[in-house]
Amino acid sequence: MERECKEFFKDKLLILDGAMGTELQKRGLKPGGVPELLNLTDPELLKGVYRDYAAAGSQVVYANTFGANGLKLARTGYSPSEVIKAAVSVAREAVSETGTLVALDVGPLGELLEPMGSLPFEKAYGYFREMAEAGAAAGADLAVVETMTDLQEARAALLAVKESTDLPVFVTMSFDETGRTFTGCTVASMARTLEGLGADAVGLNCSLGPDKLAPLLKELCENTRLPVIAKPNAGLPDPVDGHYDMGPAAFVEALLPCLDAGVTIVGGCCGTSPEYIRQLRAALEGRSPAHRRYRKAGFVCTASQPVFLEGVRVIGERVNPTGKKRFQQALLEDDLDYILDVAVQQEEADILDVNVGFPGVDEVSMLPRAVTAIQSAVNLPLQLDSSNPDALEAGLRVCCGKAAVNSVNGEPEVLARILPVVKKYGASVVGLTLDKKGIPQTAEGRVEIARRILDAALSYGIPKEDVWIDCLTLTVSAQQEQAGETLKALRTVREELGLQTVLGVSNISFGLPNRALITQNFLIQALAAGLTLPIINPNLPELMDAVAAYRVLSGEDQQCRSYVERFAGQAGKPQTVQAGGMTLEEAIIKGLKSDAGKLAGIALETESGLELVERRLIPALDNVGDGYEAGTVFLPQLLSAAQAAQAVFEAVREKMAGTGDAPVKKGRLVIATVQGDIHDIGKNIVKTVLENYGYDVLDLGRDVPPETVVKAVTEKGVRLVGLSALMTTTLPAMEETVRQLKALPDPPKVFVGGAVVTEDYAKGIGADAYAKDARQSVEIAREVLG
Amino acid sequence: MDIGEALRYLGAANPSEELRRQAAEIAGSIRETPRYTYRVFGVSRVPEGVSLEGCGVVLAGRMAETMLSECSQAALMACTLGAEFDRRLRAMQARDMSSAVILDACGSALVESGCDAVEAELAGRFPERFLTDRFSPGYGDLPLDVQPEVCAALDASRRLGLYVTGSLLLNPVKSVTAVIGLSDRPQAARIRGCAYCRLREDCPYRKGGTCCGEGM
Repeated sequence: MERECKEFFKDKLLILDGAMGTELQKRGLKPGGVPELLNLTDPELLKGVYRDYAAAGSQVVYANTFGANGLKLARTGYSPSEVIKAAVSVAREAVSETGTLVALDVGPLGELLEPMGSLPFEKAYGYFREMAEAGAAAGADLAVVETMTDLQEARAALLAVKESTDLPVFVTMSFDETGRTFTGCTVASMARTLEGLGADAVGLNCSLGPDKLAPLLKELCENTRLPVIAKPNAGLPDPVDGHYDMGPAAFVEALLPCLDAGVTIVGGCCGTSPEYIRQLRAALEGRSPAHRRYRKAGFVCTASQPVFLEGVRVIGERVNPTGKKRFQQALLEDDLDYILDVAVQQEEADILDVNVGFPGVDEVSMLPRAVTAIQSAVNLPLQLDSSNPDALEAGLRVCCGKAAVNSVNGEPEVLARILPVVKKYGASVVGLTLDKKGIPQTAEGRVEIARRILDAALSYGIPKEDVWIDCLTLTVSAQQEQAGETLKALRTVREELGLQTVLGVSNISFGLPNRALITQNFLIQALAAGLTLPIINPNLPELMDAVAAYRVLSGEDQQCRSYVERFAGQAGKPQTVQAGGMTLEEAIIKGLKSDAGKLAGIALETESGLELVERRLIPALDNVGDGYEAGTVFLPQLLSAAQAAQAVFEAVREKMAGTGDAPVKKGRLVIATVQGDIHDIGKNIVKTVLENYGYDVLDLGRDVPPETVVKAVTEKGVRLVGLSALMTTTLPAMEETVRQLKALPDPPKVFVGGAVVTEDYAKGIGADAYAKDARQSVEIAREVLG
Repeated sequence: MDIGEALRYLGAANPSEELRRQAAEIAGSIRETPRYTYRVFGVSRVPEGVSLEGCGVVLAGRMAETMLSECSQAALMACTLGAEFDRRLRAMQARDMSSAVILDACGSALVESGCDAVEAELAGRFPERFLTDRFSPGYGDLPLDVQPEVCAALDASRRLGLYVTGSLLLNPVKSVTAVIGLSDRPQAARIRGCAYCRLREDCPYRKGGTCCGEGM
């Protein structure tokens, strides 16, 4: 069946059906209820619609399975498999004599996936897999994943169909006039991510009429080699009477330019009827697919951030434990917040490398969790950095968008292990020019390995533009002649093989004084030799300035706009805010972070760290806190002071690391936003303030099950727990968490807070204290932890 | 968007010039615009509360009863800033908590401005009718558990990318659903208070030194 169906849409025009929901309402169905149950309760009503579409010219009808997933059917008493089985056979019976194909229709689950929502990727995958298996078993000819607005959910559904069936699969998403889906997904991100994952056709459905979708469909055609689907609405609905404003003739007229742009698979969504399909079929008579022009380019993306590899793209290297004590500690302590902080600080990069491999860390579970945490806040495409294929697969699975894999090398076993994973998830791959004999000492040797890697990638079906080659930087103080060989190899790979080139440049200067100068010079030479993807620390101005300058000289930065923006006004600004004339206390109170840090550095020449914290920092923070309580200082200022205090702590820690004194930590507490609650800004405010009073805050995040809190408390022997909840509906989860904590043999003190929490409520559920704000949580921490 | 309102959410009734400038700058950096949808339904009284005809939504409780007592129709509305705003807010919290709380407050004010736009659209669409104040599930005695039905009636996940979580919270976080009654008679500002009320000049309650909104 698969081949037969694929031939049905490859290089041909294909007509789908129109709306089901509005058709059913026209035939007397009352709104509300679960429409998928009609497959069991009123099959004749459905058959009438399918027959009319088949008669009008639909070559595919969508079975009535849009919401037949385990989540939406949960309260109906029916399983997805029985509903889907009935749905496919009802559709099949209705159209069996016409040769019309029956599609399993897969719509959104109705809950947002992580990281935007709280539904884990694998759970969503499970619901979709259940549908796909049922659809295949029921004899569907193909699967269509439609009306998706979250690229991550579309990915889960596509993977589920591909991994559990042989059905061809179409994926269509809903975009609005801004050219994005509601979750911010762009057309290029959608097209290239889903093509990489193995969709058979991609397109747009619902949300707008064909007139408004036309420019987006044109863009889609330029961004994929796959057949493109258009299934628009009959215009827009009237908010008062619900009618769609575009008749069949206008609909067809507006859809025809989309066919000229290269769309080959067409149908209708909300508001369309068999009459629309009839007129569409008549208009397509004698037409054949239009010529398509694909924009071939290196590409990585998140859902909302497409990055075409045209010019220099900086890969940020900081999410990596190598040589970084604090990062290693964060990995061992499962402190994803710290990893997220490191990622957030690199927003000047274009792509982020993510490496969480360290002895004692289970990379297979850590890499996907780090990816999800980073993608909750950072909108840069990721390069997953590991040699463990299982970790890479786990990371790529949850990574939304098109990622890169760092890395393979010229070893056949390594290529055979990693490339299938790269291909499956449609990633790009970095190939290191080394093999088991080591790094070739000549440029020719490295280019030879690059060719081998390229050939292997092509043999797995990975396109050339997705192969990136790293010619490897060696330390110039140890192997001086190798700098030239690296540059020579790089130039050849770029010019002769025409591949993207990656290079971690900072290794060049290891062991030399004024490293930044050497690194910057090498970077500039490498860029001139054809380096397109430098892996650097984007927080080093010397390096980013060099990239900015190169982009001007290469013509990439048109009219020098970015360069001017970067440096304009810099001359006029004071070099640094003068610390003179201000006390440390004043700097903290005013929330001047860099001044506070500098003044602390000066003070530490004569005072001990502990004295500085106890006698100056804490009283200054208290001063701000008193003002906050009195209503003369507001929340942003309270937090600015806390952030200035952070600079002081950093100075103190630096000094103590040098002297071997014990760190200034005042004791540890756990904080969490309770299960079911996703509003955690209040909890984060408390965290910021407590941390900058010197407390060691273990933040478990939001939507935290009671068991997780209990586990953290018992494992780490924590004596104080803070819990927040915003809504009345999540208060029971707070109560349950307190109950479980208080049932421990040696229960910790618990304080609670949040918009709907009151002093009385806190007492009622057995909490030890109620904190009305961040300031009060400091008082509580003082009492319990000192 | 009303910066003053954002500052009020921050509890800063008399903000310093510096804070006001900072808030204006952060408000200016917001690229998202509120997205909204609404639908108008007929209203009927049923034993369980006020029924919105044809969508299966029943609004229970005294607030709905009072607010819609003189209304033959009511609009359900939903407004959201979208998931991208949430993501930026998370990034800001990791980078600079002080700016993050300001961004959070600006987001709330911006969603409210979207709700105001819905009201203005309704008023334009029904020039002969009078609108009640808008009121939302979870406030007063209108139960939060009507939230899934409200979002389903509006097809909010498809139209706006707006979802209800298992614990009845809206996701994206900066979102509002609300009910607005449509009446043939002028409606008292029962929720927003006498200062906003178009009936205040000759309100019998005010003349008597009380107000009409007690118990809400």
